[in-house]
Amino acid sequence: MSLVSFVLVNNQEKDSMKEAIVRSLDLINFDFTRNIHRILIKPNMCYYYHPSTGEVTDPQFVSAIVDIFQERFNDPEISIVEADASAMKCKYAFSMLGYDRIVKEIGIKLINLCKEESTEISINIKGSKFDILIPNIFNKSDLIVNVPKIKYMDGVKISCALKNMFGCNANPGKYIYHKELNDIIVNINKHIKTNLVITDGLMVCGKYTKRLNMVMSSKDPVANDAAASRLMGLNPRSVKHIASASKNGVGNMEFNPVGDFNDFITKFPKRGARDDIRKLAASLYSRIFY
Amino acid sequence: MDDDLRKINIGIIGLGNQGKIHLNNCLYMKEANVLGVADVSRNALKLAEKRGIKKTYSNYKELLKDKQIDSVIISLPNYLHAEATIKAAEAGKDILLEKPLARNVSEGELILSSAQKYGVKLMLGYEMKFNKSLMTLHDEIAEGYFGEVQVADAVNVSSGPFSPRGEGTRPLSVPSWWFDKEKVGGGALLDLGSHLINLLNWYFGEVSDIKAFMGFMYNMDVEDIATCVLKYKNGPLASVRVGWFSKGFFQSVQVSGTAKNMFLSLAPSSIFRIISSDIRTKLGWYDHNSMYSEIKYFVDCLLNDESPSPSGEEGLRDLQVIELAYETASRLDKI
Repeated sequence: MSLVSFVLVNNQEKDSMKEAIVRSLDLINFDFTRNIHRILIKPNMCYYYHPSTGEVTDPQFVSAIVDIFQERFNDPEISIVEADASAMKCKYAFSMLGYDRIVKEIGIKLINLCKEESTEISINIKGSKFDILIPNIFNKSDLIVNVPKIKYMDGVKISCALKNMFGCNANPGKYIYHKELNDIIVNINKHIKTNLVITDGLMVCGKYTKRLNMVMSSKDPVANDAAASRLMGLNPRSVKHIASASKNGVGNMEFNPVGDFNDFITKFPKRGARDDIRKLAASLYSRIFY
Repeated sequence: MDDDLRKINIGIIGLGNQGKIHLNNCLYMKEANVLGVADVSRNALKLAEKRGIKKTYSNYKELLKDKQIDSVIISLPNYLHAEATIKAAEAGKDILLEKPLARNVSEGELILSSAQKYGVKLMLGYEMKFNKSLMTLHDEIAEGYFGEVQVADAVNVSSGPFSPRGEGTRPLSVPSWWFDKEKVGGGALLDLGSHLINLLNWYFGEVSDIKAFMGFMYNMDVEDIATCVLKYKNGPLASVRVGWFSKGFFQSVQVSGTAKNMFLSLAPSSIFRIISSDIRTKLGWYDHNSMYSEIKYFVDCLLNDESPSPSGEEGLRDLQVIELAYETASRLDKI
């Protein structure tokens, strides 16, 4: 069983974030004594949303993680990575969300994965061929840190660590994968192995946006997402990409929660059966009229 | 020729979000005949061909050479407004130009003098002026229903140009000119605020003083938040509050007078209104919304040889207010 930690952040100050992140890493026995040089951090930058919407990772949270790594590891080379998507362009997102400013302050790199060398991998899903581009930079790194958000998402039920890695595909036309998103997510996670997940649960997108002030960490992205689904009131076995990732050896769906799991499970703004019915009605309506 | 059979031959320049809506509206209008469309996007032109448009151009200057076209609807990025409108005026076409008139006052003056020089009609695309509730509010203010209006407040908050956009199921990225101050000319105040300033000027007349504050939460060169307080010469103090920062969409107008007060929420639309509009469209009874009414009015003005409003002059006055707001905000910033 993989450990998944849950820690409360006391306030919005960076020092409090750092304190909570360190505690959450200690709870999962993360080893800072390892010889780590190259670190890649993948936040969620799905669109030009403000972090207060709960849709994208808070750059201040990423900055806190960078501070910790710079303090604990010996002179690490840290890069924040993201790839262009159909609607989102890194060039603008880096600047609009404030990453440009942060990297200047703390001396790290910002990388648009679409501009990196990649290896093309063909995947066959239900008779259809999909090509994905895996940036080579991932093979050259010592630590891949996945910093996702926790939110509901149509088509795949939840978006957390596994879904966040979908954004590492260097093909910017990502909409072509949406038909088989669950399988594509699993395949990308098979090729890019997350070493550490630190979920930004400061603001969460549940039934509504809520300040949860939570840090959630795990060394196993599948366990992390299974715990996230429980938090959101879903059975992880009902989330196709989590069940399939577990079956394909990406990680272990069984998890052992440590820290304030029970507190957060009551506080998370869960969707209920009524919301599902409303969602279904809206989806039927849009099929008829649009 | 019998008046009932007269039609205006229209060319549409720019088939982005707004241009597509204009095309759709024109196709439903029996007094309008869309003879041609121009856009740099092949996909947009293909879409127009599917809708039965025979003449499509990748360069709008070719469209302007078509002598059969009486008037053009221009829905281009802000930085192309001056060039395209001046060329259209030179070609003798009457013009409906999407707001704002231009990126700044000096460019706006060039547009206006060109329309005057070539004797063409110029109307600005401020569709809020054709919203039934806002038209009623105008009449009520003029008739003294609120007594003397002392305070007014107009709000438009949304994602602005960052609202998710797509073609069918394919999401599209925000066009790059929106991120370039030189090309866009201004931020949320020019984009959304121009609508509200035009509306308030219509209600209350001439602005005598202005104070403004701008916010830059997305670290761009243009503002994504703006609040302006306008002092009207013979009217109230009015505030204009706009933003590109919200996932939600909110639009409202509030007036407070010596006799009565009113709060008008324009968006989001009620579920009932959305469903009824969708059913009407599905049944082929086209929903005559404010953008439809705007074009219908423009076409009627051309058929009856009347000067349309919002005119180019109104658009220029709005730009003067906006430019003043930018000046005062930068002065206040330095204090």
